[in-house]
Amino acid sequence: MEELFTTLKNILKNSIVIKADQPNLIISIIIKSEFKGNIAEPEEVLVMLKMFGGLREEVPLDIEIDNENRKVNLKFENMENFEKILGITTKIWDNAVDMLIQVTEGNFDVIRDIPDVDE
Amino acid sequence: MTDPNAIENNPFKELGEIPRMKFTDGYSVHSTYIPMRDNIKIAATICLPKGISSSDKIPTILTQTRYWRAMELRIPFRWILDEVVTNIPNPEIITGRGYAYIITDVRGTGASYGTRIVPFSDEEVKDGNDIVEWIISQSWSDGNVVSKGISYTGITAELFSINNHPAIKAVMSGHGFWDPYTDVAFPGGVYDHAFMQLWSFLGKNLDLNNPKVFRQIMPQVWLFVKGVKPVDKDIYLKNLNEALIIHKSNQYVYENTLDKNFRDEKLPDGTTIADISIYERKAKIEESNIPILAWCSWLDSGYVDAIIHRFMNLENPMIAILGDWSHGAALPANQFFLDRKTVTPSPRDRLNAWINFFERCIHGNGFHGKALYYYTLVEEKWKKTMIWPPIGHEYKKMYFSENFSLLKEKPDIIAGEDEYKINFRATTGRNNRWWALLGLPILYNKRAKIDEKLLCYMSEPFKEDTEITGQAIITIYLTSTHEDGAIFVYLEDIDEKGNVTYITDGEFRVIHRRISKENPPYKIIIPYHTYNEKDADPLIPGEITKIKFGLHATSVLIHKGHRLKIAIAGADKDTFSRYPAEGKPIIKIFRSREYASYIDLPIIQRAKT
Repeated sequence: MEELFTTLKNILKNSIVIKADQPNLIISIIIKSEFKGNIAEPEEVLVMLKMFGGLREEVPLDIEIDNENRKVNLKFENMENFEKILGITTKIWDNAVDMLIQVTEGNFDVIRDIPDVDE
Repeated sequence: MTDPNAIENNPFKELGEIPRMKFTDGYSVHSTYIPMRDNIKIAATICLPKGISSSDKIPTILTQTRYWRAMELRIPFRWILDEVVTNIPNPEIITGRGYAYIITDVRGTGASYGTRIVPFSDEEVKDGNDIVEWIISQSWSDGNVVSKGISYTGITAELFSINNHPAIKAVMSGHGFWDPYTDVAFPGGVYDHAFMQLWSFLGKNLDLNNPKVFRQIMPQVWLFVKGVKPVDKDIYLKNLNEALIIHKSNQYVYENTLDKNFRDEKLPDGTTIADISIYERKAKIEESNIPILAWCSWLDSGYVDAIIHRFMNLENPMIAILGDWSHGAALPANQFFLDRKTVTPSPRDRLNAWINFFERCIHGNGFHGKALYYYTLVEEKWKKTMIWPPIGHEYKKMYFSENFSLLKEKPDIIAGEDEYKINFRATTGRNNRWWALLGLPILYNKRAKIDEKLLCYMSEPFKEDTEITGQAIITIYLTSTHEDGAIFVYLEDIDEKGNVTYITDGEFRVIHRRISKENPPYKIIIPYHTYNEKDADPLIPGEITKIKFGLHATSVLIHKGHRLKIAIAGADKDTFSRYPAEGKPIIKIFRSREYASYIDLPIIQRAKT
């Protein structure tokens, strides 16, 4: 099981690249895997940030889904919000798998304060 | 789980051969709707070997589920994993060995259309025939279809044979019921309230595509699953949303059984629990003569008895297997070896063994006759028998005696009784054989402490190693202050250090106590209680009454120097309904010459060496 989770982390890191364009306050999530179909709905990106990134506050941002270039662009109005989300995204894949490990081991505290994301 | 060094009679070794890999490039996945005879659309996900050419013809393994055939994953997992990831290692092994793998949502579930009033309905079974017709019309199909599954899908796999379609060559049914009344809903007539409620809750939420249910009961799934996967062409979710609206008319077993007590009570649609059983469909399954591989565990709910009854009653060619793992072999469950962390054989090795079985049925000589492989706990050995109970089986009595002892000699006293005030706080917790059906580990720990709330009888140390294999039968003479009640009997091993280990148990609601002289609906080796309304026989408070019933089957070696313990309770609060619903009954268990309470232990006589 441990090996599986390590592999999962590596696949996430190798298949999904996060690029920060500081001058333009844009964070790009680029999908390099063989995934077919639409990348995501904007709401799903917010859910991801809340579930696996620990985002708990409303942060003004534009979410642009670029299916053709297999990319999600997060656009911000100020540096503070840009840096806040950048901080989240840099460790989000590790967090996602670590949470899976925790709940698999029976530690459900890690999901306790995740807001209702299934509405 | 099983000792990996146990080779002799090991069914996995006997079924096994080195898998011949045919396709090594992985698999492709697509999904579509398959139209049924009544225009209901059934959602199907199809996994095919990558690299299959237009001239390749391959057989199909079909699984029909009610737990979503494929998952719409949350991002980022959707970007790196496919929709059948929760089926690992199924697709890659199945397609790698040259099979198509098809998973369908049964009608009324997942992305399929239709409604369901009861599970395993005749209409659900007939869908299997329409699905086979669709499969063999595909360009890649060689005209052969087999079905496999565990738990719900194991039952759909077995019922698939009823269609008696010439393309169906074999079925593998893991951890499925035979008699849903006694195996799962009302074991011994006692309502498994916890499972029925939670299973219905899970089903209802799945059918409405509500992932919130996972947050509560399977958080590891909730973290990466967003919902059921729509079929490929349903980009705007039109079909899925239509199907979900139709599912609102579904009915669930909890609502339909909560106020029921008897096997013959009618459900809202006019059927009874028996109508969805395997045994009621025995003749049709036998007519097909399709080979069946059925497997389960000594520790899994009442499904252990289902394997025994399937083996004793069905004439189809059959391999039956009873091991020591949890429901679906997801986890080890041998209570004598709690330090075991992994399951042997692994899911991969098991799946390869099942495919070897299918290979033999499709391309080889098939199977003839029947064999049951069973694993004896503590002895840690696989055994093989062609009949049940096995050769050498005989019952030996041990009597409840003075000072809470359990003796081979019948008591010779005029009066003897032990009083027990039913403790309704008694529980086996939520890691017992019944909660295991929900995927939880099986752990009967701290038995010595728990037994302090129960009425217990203990034997002398055994003078020689003794194999118990089969279903123990308990006979209790008792009085109660109430007309209704339940008796729970736990059979336990005590080692030289006083460690208490759970072996098996049995439960029984006393109003069903009348032993019927009618022929049971299928062959059994324990007293026959009809559980029908006409045979209900409430106790007369204060009157000595005989209660006799069977425990769940087991196979265990009691070592020389170990003792047996029988622990008796009147409740298991985290699992079963309370009987009576109110009041504080006091029972007396008699152990006199005239009213000698005892247990019949199924001993296997060993050849003297």
